[in-house]
Amino acid sequence: MIVDIKERLGKTKYDVDKSYAHITVDERICEKCPHHFCVMACPAQCYTLQDGKLNFQYEDCVECGTCSVACDQGSVKWTFPKAGKGVIYKYG
Amino acid sequence: MPDYDAIVVGAGNAGSAAAITMASKGLSVLLVDRSDPPGAKNLSGGVLWGNDLARILPKWQSEAPLERYIQNKKIGFLTDDSSIIIDFKTKIFEENKVGYTVLRSKFDPWLAKKAKEAGAMVIPGITVESLAKKDGKIVGVVESGDTITASVVILAEGINPRLAIEAGLREPLQDWEVSVGVKEIIKMSPQKIEDRFNLTSTSGMASEYIMGNLKELNVGAFFYTNKDSISLGIVSPMEQLRANGVTHTYDIIEQFKEHPSIAPLIEGGTVAEYGAHMIPEGGLEMIPKLYGDGYMIVGDAAGFGFSNGLVLQGMNYAFLSGILAGETAVEAKGRNDFSENFLALYKQKLEGSYVLKDLKTFKDIRKVTNNKNMYTVYPKMLESILLEMLWERGQPKKKVRDILSSCAADLNLSKLKTATDFYYIYRRM
Repeated sequence: MIVDIKERLGKTKYDVDKSYAHITVDERICEKCPHHFCVMACPAQCYTLQDGKLNFQYEDCVECGTCSVACDQGSVKWTFPKAGKGVIYKYG
Repeated sequence: MPDYDAIVVGAGNAGSAAAITMASKGLSVLLVDRSDPPGAKNLSGGVLWGNDLARILPKWQSEAPLERYIQNKKIGFLTDDSSIIIDFKTKIFEENKVGYTVLRSKFDPWLAKKAKEAGAMVIPGITVESLAKKDGKIVGVVESGDTITASVVILAEGINPRLAIEAGLREPLQDWEVSVGVKEIIKMSPQKIEDRFNLTSTSGMASEYIMGNLKELNVGAFFYTNKDSISLGIVSPMEQLRANGVTHTYDIIEQFKEHPSIAPLIEGGTVAEYGAHMIPEGGLEMIPKLYGDGYMIVGDAAGFGFSNGLVLQGMNYAFLSGILAGETAVEAKGRNDFSENFLALYKQKLEGSYVLKDLKTFKDIRKVTNNKNMYTVYPKMLESILLEMLWERGQPKKKVRDILSSCAADLNLSKLKTATDFYYIYRRM
């Protein structure tokens, strides 16, 4: 029963805040990052590498905070989404 | 005059327990949560044991939205091909019914409702932006530019404590302090769950596994039955994920689901939800300063979690720390003293409870749980012993002693290292 991560994320409910990205990354720092550990650590595949360049999207974020620890280069700025926005677990 | 006696940030188990404790003693309490309904950001990867909850809500068993009581607890070791499971089923669990599986999106709104019934003002869907400080004291919270004040702020913001970090009340989290938990809900009919796991309509099963089939990582896994779904997931230490550097956390859970002994258990089920959460696993060393002028820190935000690879404790520490912080606030109100000096009482209460006692008793547990042999070598060794003992291959049988030494040789394990490992397990677990 192998399910692709995108399909699994598709089962989870969100109210995405289109006007506010609660996590931002500094591309200039990511460019020089020696490991891009965020790509491995993020359980929601928000961080991907495309031709060696880090790509980040916050829309699928499940707000676990893993990247705030995984990034040891000072690139990730982590804040809580605004009032009620973001992931809304139906089961938990 | 502050707006409230107490503001609680976060309506999870710790925050709501604190709010109930204070409001029921007549304190004016504001309980805010950044999700609406409260708890919709929370995941449970454990069993809720209600001993502490019973202190504030004696009728919790009949009122709370619970899934199944734990009648059957399993501890398992997985290798590539095998599973070795200790299956503990006892009439004692059946008669006491104090351990339950829960789904937080149902349980947390109920607990927040209880806080409201106790007299607290509960406002979900509020993201506190920062803590308000004055003369080095915490005096309230800031939201949408407004400051709401309180004699004491109880921080129950969970494992990713942005407010506490921002206000300099604790250091940012380090790799060794956390594990990454990844969880899925697999939908399945109650009938199928009860037939498959030999349960009644109210009883449930909770299993913990050591995943010996992952070569580089010490990963624990869990598998619980709910009424009409399965909760399953993996817990992987951040330190090892970084050292390993090639494994996606979202793939590890699939490896668990694909294991030959797990796949048949979820056959016919469908994935209904995917989620992830960090878990505090740094033990005593990760606990920040728990109180100061005008604040106390409770639950996951304080790092109150415990794991020995087979038992995960978080929700119960959350209830008790919330209750103890609440009791401290009630006494502080009586003396009209919310200074650091008086709130030290919170830590004294914790030290007298099993929360800090457990964390002290098992302060060196990471020496066991970080030992790679525990996860990769010993399950394999157990498998070899069982194969040798239980598989008739038309060859002369060996004594256990001889099986052990040939296993150790096959697995490249020195006697001294094995002896040291077991010494640590014996001393620290």
